Amino acid sequence: MTLLDAKVNTKYIVRGVSGEGNARRRLLDMGFTPDCGLYIAAVAPMGGTVLVGLRGFMVALREDAASLIEIEADK
Amino acid sequence: MEYTVSLVGNPNVGKTSLYNRITHSLEHVGNWHGVTVSEVSKKIMFDHNSINMVDLPGLYSLSVYSYEESISRDRILQRSSDLIINICEVNNLARNLYLTLQLLELDVPVVLVINMMDELRKQGKVLNYRQIEKVLKIPIVPMSAKYHSDVHLLMDVALDHIKTHGSNTVDLEYLKKLPIDDVVSIIGANASAAGFSPRWAAVKVLENDAFVLGKLCLDERQSAVLRAMGDFQARVAQVRYEFIDKITEGAISRSVSDEHHEMHEHEAHNVPLETDGELVADLKDKHVRHHNKHKESERLNMLGVSRLDKIVLNKYLALPIFLLIMALIFVVTFGLVGNFFTWLLELGIDKLIYGPLTGWLARINCPAWITGLVGDGIIQGVGGILVFLPQIVLLFFFLAMLEDSGYISRVAFMTDGIFRKIGLSGRSAFTMLMGFGCSATAVLTARGLEDDKMRKKTVLLTPFMSCSARLPVYSTIAASFFAAGSPFIIFGMYVLGAAVALVIAALFEKCIKPLKSGKLSFIMEMPPYRLPTAERVFQIIWNNIKVFLIRVGTTIFALNVIVWLLSNFSFTAGYTMGKDAKSILEVFSGLIAPVFSPLGFGNWRAVTSLLSGLVAKEVVISSIESLGGIEAVFIGAHPSLSALTFMVFTLLYVPCVATLVAIKKEAGLKWMFFSLGLQMGAAYIVSLLFHSIGLLFLLNAGLMTGICIVAAVAAICIAVLIGKLRGKHGCAYCNGGCRNCERRGRNNKK
Repeated sequence: MTLLDAKVNTKYIVRGVSGEGNARRRLLDMGFTPDCGLYIAAVAPMGGTVLVGLRGFMVALREDAASLIEIEADK
Repeated sequence: MEYTVSLVGNPNVGKTSLYNRITHSLEHVGNWHGVTVSEVSKKIMFDHNSINMVDLPGLYSLSVYSYEESISRDRILQRSSDLIINICEVNNLARNLYLTLQLLELDVPVVLVINMMDELRKQGKVLNYRQIEKVLKIPIVPMSAKYHSDVHLLMDVALDHIKTHGSNTVDLEYLKKLPIDDVVSIIGANASAAGFSPRWAAVKVLENDAFVLGKLCLDERQSAVLRAMGDFQARVAQVRYEFIDKITEGAISRSVSDEHHEMHEHEAHNVPLETDGELVADLKDKHVRHHNKHKESERLNMLGVSRLDKIVLNKYLALPIFLLIMALIFVVTFGLVGNFFTWLLELGIDKLIYGPLTGWLARINCPAWITGLVGDGIIQGVGGILVFLPQIVLLFFFLAMLEDSGYISRVAFMTDGIFRKIGLSGRSAFTMLMGFGCSATAVLTARGLEDDKMRKKTVLLTPFMSCSARLPVYSTIAASFFAAGSPFIIFGMYVLGAAVALVIAALFEKCIKPLKSGKLSFIMEMPPYRLPTAERVFQIIWNNIKVFLIRVGTTIFALNVIVWLLSNFSFTAGYTMGKDAKSILEVFSGLIAPVFSPLGFGNWRAVTSLLSGLVAKEVVISSIESLGGIEAVFIGAHPSLSALTFMVFTLLYVPCVATLVAIKKEAGLKWMFFSLGLQMGAAYIVSLLFHSIGLLFLLNAGLMTGICIVAAVAAICIAVLIGKLRGKHGCAYCNGGCRNCERRGRNNKK
């Protein structure tokens, strides 16, 4: 599944980042690398944007970027 | 000796704070990403060396994403600095060190600063930075740039490193996991020709960096060989982060004193063990729960999530909290507190300056025109603006608080839903919120926007946000017409400005192709909540007082004298007071005045004040004051409606020449003229609509109220209907939990 399917206030683990070009590299550079843990802190009130915590910081992602991040549930 | 030292680091790690400390400057800082959008430099003397300190915009990686990041990258790649001071933030050390590794790959001289140590200390933790220093083999200086920190120590270390530095000796072992040598053998010659180090270029090629690939000018055969090697983009990021995780493992730990404290707590919990069995079990359970909760929040903390956000960004509470904060700011600034100080200043100017001075001028038999100029032109006009100093300082104070606390980024996140629909990003919300302070400086912050069309659009929309210079106009007019209702009227102006901006943005997205940005990507880091220091608060207040007083004392003062003279002297008859002659402005502005008749203020006084307001918007009101006051300007059948329409026009037309200059700088001459036309057009059309509807209301209040109610009900029905239809076809993003969501179905099929 991808970040789009994630539930708020839940922990996940990154599997990988799909897509290509700038957006993908930016996500990789920010630390969305395999096995990295993340937490869905909030979804914007009008939807479309999700707030993710990882590696000690939070980042807001729109649908398009969120759909690139493949995750799995944290056991 | 002369050296150049550049400050490089991720966004929002405190580069500019440190720069201000080192160079004793007052560059703008704030708790959000992308405050600094261009290179700033200053020469300082240290230890008989002349050092050119350069502050650069933040960047995450040498593979850049936006224009401002490319400024920093270019500077680093030119190797024009004798030393790079790389600033990291201790809260998310891993991502910060990611850039450090890239600097080391490039083999430039680096000194590492680890900033915000105070925040780590507050969490009861310590950083063993020697452990990292040992591996990276570069000097590390921990500090808290926000508070007083030992800048001298840093500069000593920096100078020492410049003098003794050869090449970095760090063993970047993770590079061995990548086929660097293979790539170097393919692109080595191209890299040398482009002026890159082959090893660095090879890493960038593996990362698929468009900029480096462009510079290398590879031929088809080389590209084909590289393609055949496979995709290493993710691998590069992964090995770097693995290396970082390895070298930082265990570097941050609980401080000894804190562990001690916890032990005591433990003992306290263990005391009742021997006394009461049942109570003990209960207590033990509580303790475990408490401990788990503590661990849980610790773990969230490790992921960078603040507990406060659970409330502030809660699905249902987010918007009410936002409105409450805005209302509070409004009530304090325009209500009791601001009004009290304004009243105090007004009283002071009237009793201590105006009265005595005009009395004295009359006693010494000064010519009537001098008394008029000093009394009405200068004191009434300039003083009329001066009294708003407290409100303007309060407004800037609150804006700075929103900025520094980190809340402004939350606002950008919350409003992203609206902004996405009209082709803007939440990042545009920053620029537009800054527009409540000063349009011209806000326009300049748009440079951090990554998309060119979006940047233009944001630049064009920002002037519609009601800047602080417009505040005296509303306040004065509203107070004299609507007394107790004036805070509501002023609030209405702010909302109207924002609404017009949003409507125009939607029109751009639909109708104007060069501004249609479509679906944009949006990746924005959210800063943690931070408390502004007392030093910073004082600095904000003092700065704004200074800027405001200088403005009042120069531009506004000069303009008022000119306007008063031109409006009280005629071409032939000299001073017009008591004579039957038309003044210069009366003739000139009288020519344009009929254009404004449909808006209800087609007289030369109103036109003159609007014209003079092009230089600085405050002058709109000071001109009115020196042209005989509000009663002389708003004449006709419905003076209060004319006054309201006048406020709407003031809100929407070109803020000032400085803003136009800023727009030209950010978007070019063509867009500056476009903006000029847009603002004039919007101001005229909206004012005309406002005035016409207002007239209809005045003519037949009952009928119009009926129509409004019907329209409102119809609008709600349509909104609900659209919502229903949307629901059927899947919503924008519902967290996957929405029952009739299209995507949910899709995912299930997967």
